[in-house]
Amino acid sequence: MTRLSWGRSLRHSRLQLVLTVAAIGAAVALPVILISVGGGVSAHELAQLQNAGYQLVVSAQGLHGIAGAHALSDRILAMSSVTAVSPVLSIAIDAFTAQGSLSPVLAEGVVPRDFTATLGPTESGLFPSPLPLGDPTDSVRYADGTYAGPATNDVLVSTPYALAAHVFPGDTLLLSPSTDPSLGVRFNVTGTFGVAPSLLGPTGAFAVLLPLSDLQVLTGFGPAPAATVVDAADTIEIALTSSAAASPSALAQVRSAVAALVPYYSVTSLDQQAEQLHAASAVLTGFYLALSSVGLTVGLLFLALVLLRRVESDRRSIGIRRALGIPGRSIVAGIVRDGALLALLGGLAGVTAGYVVVEGLARWATAAVQEAASLAVFDPTILAAIVGGVVALSLLASALASRRAMRVDIGEALR
Amino acid sequence: MNDARPPLVELAGASRAYVAGSPEQVVALRAVDLAIPSGEFVSVEGPSGCGKTTLLNLVGLLDSPTSGEVRWGGRPVGSLSDRERARLRLRGVGFIFQRFYLLPTLTALENVELPMRPLGVPRAERTRRASELLGEVGLAGRERAFPHQLSGGEEQRVAVARALANRPGILLADEPTGELDSGNTRAILDLLERVRHDRSATLVLVTHNPEVAARARRHLTMRDGSIVRDARETGT
Ligand SMILES: Nc1ncnc2c1ncn2[C@@H]1O[C@H](COP(=O)(O)OP(=O)(O)O)[C@@H](O)[C@H]1O
Ligand SMILES: [Mg+2]
Repeated sequence: MTRLSWGRSLRHSRLQLVLTVAAIGAAVALPVILISVGGGVSAHELAQLQNAGYQLVVSAQGLHGIAGAHALSDRILAMSSVTAVSPVLSIAIDAFTAQGSLSPVLAEGVVPRDFTATLGPTESGLFPSPLPLGDPTDSVRYADGTYAGPATNDVLVSTPYALAAHVFPGDTLLLSPSTDPSLGVRFNVTGTFGVAPSLLGPTGAFAVLLPLSDLQVLTGFGPAPAATVVDAADTIEIALTSSAAASPSALAQVRSAVAALVPYYSVTSLDQQAEQLHAASAVLTGFYLALSSVGLTVGLLFLALVLLRRVESDRRSIGIRRALGIPGRSIVAGIVRDGALLALLGGLAGVTAGYVVVEGLARWATAAVQEAASLAVFDPTILAAIVGGVVALSLLASALASRRAMRVDIGEALR
Repeated sequence: MNDARPPLVELAGASRAYVAGSPEQVVALRAVDLAIPSGEFVSVEGPSGCGKTTLLNLVGLLDSPTSGEVRWGGRPVGSLSDRERARLRLRGVGFIFQRFYLLPTLTALENVELPMRPLGVPRAERTRRASELLGEVGLAGRERAFPHQLSGGEEQRVAVARALANRPGILLADEPTGELDSGNTRAILDLLERVRHDRSATLVLVTHNPEVAARARRHLTMRDGSIVRDARETGT
């Protein structure tokens, strides 16, 4: 009779053990997914920062806040250790094809030659060199309030947009600051450029590149006819000599020199941005862990429950051991070992499940999710820390069960 | 006998009440005085519920009296911590229970090794001693069997081997043959007598079977929580 019930209780508990491992695994899978994808995206952004061809960025709070961008760029270029200065204006506009189809695109206004000079090694492969824009130095501009026109009205289109809208070199494109085509200006498409994998999703890859002045005129950020902000840009990207770029002190020196020139704008180095990104990603990781703690708590409660049940069904065995004089600590050690083993198995199952889920997302999810998932980084240190943390937390569950085991009354257990 | 030496175990006015202080209180043992010298073979008889197991649990430090005192080698054990009592049990007492109480997940060999582990006996030594003990109780070759693969008689032999693992000074057997047929009963009693003799150990054997009790040299009879008869055979 006892034999039969023994076999049954073993099968019974085997199911419990599998369920426990599954519960902990599910709890661990969540942070694994969140942290690996989040970390991967941050790492990707970081890599983009570090691959940039410039080291300092001047930017202004608010919309298109840098005024006198051309003149300011020239003054920065005159400073020592500075090799290239590229003002950039980014605005969402509307593009009408010759067939009249309309799509919003991200327009980037640049000084073509300076833009090329501030491209990083990975980015430069995406753009034709030199840029086939009729006015390489953007001399057709409102320099010192003088318009040197006329504009060539050349534009480059991104490959995703070219393919989607069937716009190719030789075609024309009507660009308008609004959905009203009568406000638009007709541009000649003179080439295409690639788009680096970005996290903006597929629509973010619909972009056009044109001379800064042309975009300013088109969108009213030049002086005439009704401009309120003169010669505007969002950012000015500054490339330094390689020796200045490599030395933190030289970098800081140039940065403060530029900051002195434009006290009302912010001047950040990409190093700082990288640091900020690091900090932001650390905050995010903490947030993910906090979020996951809910699931982990449930998993650990489950573990505690199962360990307690095992103590209950092992009352007799525990009573026998204690009657024989086996010290409590070796009984506790057994429980702790069981708990830690289950937590370890659950942790490993969770890591595996998280990996499988991320791989699945990278293959079968929507484009934006696929893109993020494909950037996922499985950092062994972090994964080990998660699994180790779960094993450490299992001690709480074991402590609960151990307390119960130590309270088993020998006489009663053996009656 | 050396009368100057204190008895191995002594109960002095030892009482044990269960659920003490409540209306359902059961007094299982009433002010029992008992001295067990080293090397004795004592039987404890009496009807079911008279307090035999309770007495044995007090002697073996599994339990404490609610009043009175238990002394080991003349020293009161009432002030010992749970841990110290466990240690005394581990080294000094060999328990043999009516229902064997082997650990079902361990093999015969592992069951016998079990009490040696906390004492830090090296693995090889443990295995050697456990096999030797299993051989002594006639179970050579059955080392790897699990309890459910053994007969009742064999299980009780494993239990005897386990009780001997740490060479205890006293063996406490609580109706060790209660679940065995007459053939196995005889074999286990022969075995207990032999190990007691070979190791000059003290043996306290609880039984309600007069034939079993007849093997002892000193006979205690209990009734209702008290020892009503304490008879020594001459020529011990
Ligand atoms: N843990 C317990 N709780 C309450 N009553 C108990 C407990 N253990 C034993 N008893 C009672 O104490 C009395 C003596 O029990 P026990 O010593 O086991 O007797 P025996 O071994 O002689 O059959 C019995 O009436 C029994 O019901
Ligand atoms: Mg009994």
